[in-house]
Amino acid sequence: MTRLLGTALLASLLLPLAACDRYEPHGTLIEPMAVPDFTLVSADGEVRKSDFEGQLVVIFFGFTACPDVCPDTMGRLARAVRMLDPREAEQIQVLLVSVDPERDGPAEIDRYASRFDERFRGLTGSREQIATVASGYGIFFEETPLEGGGYTVDHSAYTIVLNRQGETVLIWRYGLDAEDLADDLRYLIRNA
Amino acid sequence: MSRELRITLIASGALVLTGALLYASLFTLGVLPRLGFAPGYALTAASGDRLTSEDLRGSVVLYTFAPAGGDGEGRDTGAVMQEVRARLAPEDTADVPVRMVSIVLDTDAPPALAAAASRAGADGDVWRFASGPHDALRTVVRDGFGVWFDRQADGSVRYDPVFVVVDGMGIVRAHHRVGLPGADILLRDIRSILREARAATGPARLAYEAAHLFQCYPTR
Repeated sequence: MTRLLGTALLASLLLPLAACDRYEPHGTLIEPMAVPDFTLVSADGEVRKSDFEGQLVVIFFGFTACPDVCPDTMGRLARAVRMLDPREAEQIQVLLVSVDPERDGPAEIDRYASRFDERFRGLTGSREQIATVASGYGIFFEETPLEGGGYTVDHSAYTIVLNRQGETVLIWRYGLDAEDLADDLRYLIRNA
Repeated sequence: MSRELRITLIASGALVLTGALLYASLFTLGVLPRLGFAPGYALTAASGDRLTSEDLRGSVVLYTFAPAGGDGEGRDTGAVMQEVRARLAPEDTADVPVRMVSIVLDTDAPPALAAAASRAGADGDVWRFASGPHDALRTVVRDGFGVWFDRQADGSVRYDPVFVVVDGMGIVRAHHRVGLPGADILLRDIRSILREARAATGPARLAYEAAHLFQCYPTR
């Protein structure tokens, strides 16, 4: 009894000190925040956010004709996932949601995503569906005409990570190194 | 008193004291809840330039929503915005900028937005007026910010007067819908987010996240 109480007392006093050694994430870690479910389409048919509950879901909004930010981000995510050991990697699902539904059909966006890593999936939908999903995740996107004709799409460049319950727990700004992304994923695999 | 009882009492007292100190310190932090992502948007500013949610990322943003001609009697969001602007001006917020956006509900013509901004005293830098086509506004204002508005056949607008405070990550932290809060409440919200943003690393961040965990939210 005495030993038990002594341990409890010691633990209560050491708790604040233990906090000093806590992991400092490279992204912005937040208390779980609910985000709306969604239904989009992939090459294999309809996909819901809730289909991935039990996994950590990494969501990036981009498009296949994107010249820089999207391939760069997807490449970093692919390298980060490959840095994990296989048992860790299978707990991660990366989703690329198209912000260019006119040009990105389900097959195109899925093929584009899987080019970075065969486990990655690409999703699209109607313009209204995409606008609703993007708005729910705070993502801005807008078609911008190009001088020589055609258009590109300006869009937010951050990446969102959901925990196993489908809640937002981490936000990555654009440009973090793959090593940093992998560190954060390992932390979330252990703690989220 | 036996030795075992003494130790039990001391240990219990220490645990209660630790809990009380933790509770008191976390409650003092008074963090605002994270209510959800604010919508992404691209609107037209009074200058005719595009204003996007990405332009304001990293800033604390106070939003309000009203027609270009201002609010009806008894719910003057413009006056509250002016007071917030005036009282924030002397404060040093260079490290975490504070911005204010009035989203105009009945027109997206830049001259009309500029006239409304001029009447309100908005400088176009800290405080901007912006709007967009009706469909875009519906997505951003009604679906995104959760603010009801409806354009009437005569061109007037019926709407909920609402203030929304968004943090630098684009997350809604306060949504004042019922009754109009005064500038005091909005300034309290803004300063609370500024304090949290300035303590975004190290043990202080853990204290703030713990405050979120225990929902140490301020009351009105």
